[in-house]
Amino acid sequence: MTMARTSKLVSLEDAVADVKDGAAVGLGGWIFHSQPMALVRALVRQGAKDLDLVPSPGSIAPDLLIGAGRARSTVCVFISFEQHGLAPHFRRAAERGSIQVHEMDGPGYAGGLRAAICDLPWMPIPDLATDLPKVNPAHYRPLPTAPGERRLLAVQPIRPDVCLLHAQQADEFGNVQFLGAPFFDVMLAQASRRVVVSVDRIVSPETIRRSNHLTKLPYALVDAVVEAPFGAHPTASAAIYRADEAHLREYVEASAKPEGFGAYLERYVSGAGENSAYLDRIGGGRLSELAVSESNVA
Amino acid sequence: MGAEPACATGEFLAVQLARDLGDGERAIIGTNSDIQLAACNLARRLHAPNLWWVSGPGGMANPDRGRLLSTADPENIETAEAWIDLPDMIDFIDWQVHFFDFAILSALQVDRFGNINTVVVGDHARPKLRGPGTVGISALTALSKRFYVVLTRHDRGALVPKVDFVCGPGFLDGGDSREQAGLPPGGPKLIVTPLGVFDFAPGSRAMRLRSLNPGVTLEQARDQTGFDLVVEGAPPPTTPPTAIELATLRDRVDAGGVLRRKFP
Repeated sequence: MTMARTSKLVSLEDAVADVKDGAAVGLGGWIFHSQPMALVRALVRQGAKDLDLVPSPGSIAPDLLIGAGRARSTVCVFISFEQHGLAPHFRRAAERGSIQVHEMDGPGYAGGLRAAICDLPWMPIPDLATDLPKVNPAHYRPLPTAPGERRLLAVQPIRPDVCLLHAQQADEFGNVQFLGAPFFDVMLAQASRRVVVSVDRIVSPETIRRSNHLTKLPYALVDAVVEAPFGAHPTASAAIYRADEAHLREYVEASAKPEGFGAYLERYVSGAGENSAYLDRIGGGRLSELAVSESNVA
Repeated sequence: MGAEPACATGEFLAVQLARDLGDGERAIIGTNSDIQLAACNLARRLHAPNLWWVSGPGGMANPDRGRLLSTADPENIETAEAWIDLPDMIDFIDWQVHFFDFAILSALQVDRFGNINTVVVGDHARPKLRGPGTVGISALTALSKRFYVVLTRHDRGALVPKVDFVCGPGFLDGGDSREQAGLPPGGPKLIVTPLGVFDFAPGSRAMRLRSLNPGVTLEQARDQTGFDLVVEGAPPPTTPPTAIELATLRDRVDAGGVLRRKFP
């Protein structure tokens, strides 16, 4: 008798079902690229609260969770809406003092992930003479160095309970392929206790093997994989669709007032329980425009 | 801007930066960096064909599309010479002293000694304005041989006596305080704004007016700066973009007119 390989393919809702209140949740991607939005929307519907967010440089993924009242703290390496302004809910919560912000920089974030990946109590990084250790002594601690030696800080391990990532394709066993830059996603996956990845399409194992240089996350590093077409929307997914600038503007405008944001959440999150329902609300015409390559746009 | 030929603020700033970038230098461009990217690609077209730049987030080296795209945009991959994963870049971005000849940054606030703040205006615990955060700015300002700051607004809110949060060290408290803090030699070289080009006086390391942009008076520059600028003699006018610089920028670097649209 031969054993079958284990499929890691699960539904969106199942993928986030066991995220507990108070969990540390890593969020992958980079600003308007590969934010794990279908998973984030499912997590908002699931209702887990008092989350400690650990976002890579991001935009709407942390901002939506903060706006929906799900986060008690967030690491901030960079949270921005770039050409659309500041991240509306993150900004408001930080200015009101209603969220704890663990201020970090790229070296501190990378060092913290490496410490977790390597099972080290801390990782040294250069002391770059910023104000970060003053406002975040829990993450940055001066290390003793001899006179004349380079000054160093110890950064604490960053080890999320679960991380949510979005990539372009995977097989059902969880071999995940990136058609663009993986940003911090591979480090975040290695540092996290549980790794959940949405992909725009599930492909066959033969397709994975044919271009195996694209597999940045082999299945040994992945716990669950979800097929969520346009799962990064309104952010971009490399080589498949571009960011939806109109929707990002709509989000920012809706976020100006509580009633506007309530309506946004009802329309796009709580009232759109399946990924297909969400995509229907965005509209097929709009989605097809996003799938057009920039190279072909005049 | 009153320059001849007429050009947008973003184009003017990109040209000022491009002139200072050397052939064979190594540079890094961060996220949301249209002017910075235009400056590097313009320098490559004109006088620095061996300038090498890498996208911080995406790892694409020397992508060259003739039009501006976000540095994180995967469309840059198809015209890049190399494509490096971020974890492979961390050692030379976050650690190595002087791997990069320069970085070009922007900021919410810049102070008299060229320190940068993109984190908060006001107190960190209850900020008046919560900015996006630090990302790679700390390493780029601390470890590059030099850095530039490009500002698309020049007023007392942006140029302040002391930044509310140091996320990118310039000359810290001036004098030799940068060296005393254990940082390698470097620091800000030029600040380019819609009003002028600024550098730092030897010794004090305080911001100094180098040239005034066309149509800008010394009084205006002083009024719109939140601290006393060092001014030595009568400041010369900034040389506006030449016809060749502007044509190259518009035809071969920013064919889509992103700078004109975003920074008119």
